[in-house]
This record gives sequence, structure tokens and C-alpha cells, in this order.
Amino acid sequence: MIRSVIKTTLPILFGFLPLGIAFGILFQELGYPWYFATLMGICVYAGAAQFMAVGMLGAGVGLFEIAISTFFLNSRHLFYGLALLNSFGAWGLRKFYLIFGLTDETYALMTTITVPKEFNRERYYFLMTLFSQCYWVLGCSIGALASSSLDFNTEGMDFAATALFTVLLIEQWLKVRKPLPFVVAFSSSCIALIFFFQHMLLAAIVLSITTIIVLRFIKSKKND
Amino acid sequence: MTDISYLLLVMLVMTVATYATRLTPFVLFSRGQERALLNFIAKNTPPMVMTILVIYMLKGVNYLSFEGVYTFIAILVTVVFHLYKRNALLSIIAGTAVYMIAVQI
Repeated sequence: MIRSVIKTTLPILFGFLPLGIAFGILFQELGYPWYFATLMGICVYAGAAQFMAVGMLGAGVGLFEIAISTFFLNSRHLFYGLALLNSFGAWGLRKFYLIFGLTDETYALMTTITVPKEFNRERYYFLMTLFSQCYWVLGCSIGALASSSLDFNTEGMDFAATALFTVLLIEQWLKVRKPLPFVVAFSSSCIALIFFFQHMLLAAIVLSITTIIVLRFIKSKKND
Repeated sequence: MTDISYLLLVMLVMTVATYATRLTPFVLFSRGQERALLNFIAKNTPPMVMTILVIYMLKGVNYLSFEGVYTFIAILVTVVFHLYKRNALLSIIAGTAVYMIAVQI
């Protein structure tokens, strides 16, 4: 089973290792000991949020704002669970870990692959999740360690997060193929930038979800 | 508050916040009930969130300097790579490399 899981999660290894290294290098610029990057990979285990945290830690942003930003940055995970409600087996430590380790990548794999018949699905998912997190923690640690020994100019590397979201946006467009959510989100972002520049992320998400619900309500009224 | 205790508190807060987002649907909907509005929101949120995140990442850029030009070129490279190869990792590395080279030269 281990060999099969490694083969299945190989794309995650290729994705997590360099991204984790990029995070580790970036994190090191804050001046903390390297093992805090490892600890963050183990406890927080969220790519985009960890990148965001580097900027916020550097600026000394308050805990409440960090909590809210993290929650909303990861709020897409709120909807990932919906597709996997009946896939994680009975409540127990394993299920709690499977939920803890639910990332964009594991979610995409779990909802796409079929677990080979000879293996127990929940155990297979457990190993997939565990290995994926190991790749990530390994990447974070290597990056944080290597940055102190290697002389490597990391200026501009934070663009990796922008590139990641750009790629995910293209993937969303290829999947959804309807302009409405993108137009609503774009307009909401513009309004949020004008009125709530400092808290643009939170404002734009709340505004766009509210807008799309109102639009749906108006449409259903018209049809009555 | 020392630097280390601030960092540890931030990590604790982020761990709880992240886990909350992942755990909530499993707690709220322990059986897969059908709920029209919920499914509607679930379907529309990912494209909206990605749009907002890209704009969020670009809001701090100074568009009156070269930074704006470099950002534009690097995003263009990322998009073109992704449309041609459809390999997320490759697109991200290509765009980031272009940006890093541009700002470091």
C-alpha cells in the first residue's frame, strides 16, 4: 500500500517540496530559528496562509486580524468538506487528522482518483494525507535550513504566491466557464479596494458572497 | 511580548483558524443532506475567492514604478505557460523566475 500511495502522491511531492522550500527561505528572513518553519508546517499546514503569515509577522499585525485573515483565506476549505462528508469513515483520531490535513492538493486527488480495490479506503486516504504533510514539512525545513547556508538572493520569490493564485484562477475559469462569479468578485474587489483598503480581502469575500446570494434571490423571484 | 511568544501565539491562532475552516462542514453536515442554497454557495465560492486573492496580491504593487511592469510581465508569463502546458508547478516556477530575475537585475 505504501508504494501505491507514494506513486499517487508524487505530484503533491513535486508541488509541495519547492513551495515549502520557498516558504522556508522567505520565513528565514524574519530572523527566527529555522525549526519554527518546521513547526509551522506541522501545526498550521496551509500553504497560502503561511506565505501570508510571513508578511503579517514582519509587520507585527495583531492576533485578531491574523485569525480572521487566516480563516477567510482558508474559507474555501469550508466547501471542500462538502464533497468528502461520507469518505472519511467513522469519527475518531484518524478522521480528525484527515480533516486537519485537507489541502487543495489532497482534496483534488481524493475527489479524482479511485482507491485500488485491494486497499481500505480510509487507511489509504490517511497515508496520502500523512505523506503529503511530510513533503510539506520537509520542504519548509529544507528551505529554512538552506537559506542560512546558501547565499541565495530571494528578492521577488514571494511572487510564487501570486503565481499560485493566478494558476488556480485559470483552473477555476476552465472548470466553471461562467462569467458571473468572476464579474461579481471583480466588482466586489474594486468596491472593497476603494472603501476598505486595509481589510480588502475580508470585505471583498463577504461582499461577493452576499451579492451572489441576492442575485440568486432576485432571479428566483422573477421566475415565480 | 517577546518576538518568540508573538510567533507562537500567531501559530496557535493560525492553527485553530485553519482547522476551523476544514472541520466546520463535517460538524455541520454530518450526513450529506441536500441543501440548495448551500450547494449554490459551495459552487460559486472557489471562483470568486481565487479572483479576489489575485487582486489582493496585486493591491500592494506600486504601479508607477518598474515593479508594476515586472508584475505585469511575470503574470503574463504565468498565464501563457499555464494555458499552453497546463502544469501548475511549471507555470508558477516560470512566472516566479521571471519576476525574480527582473527585480534582481
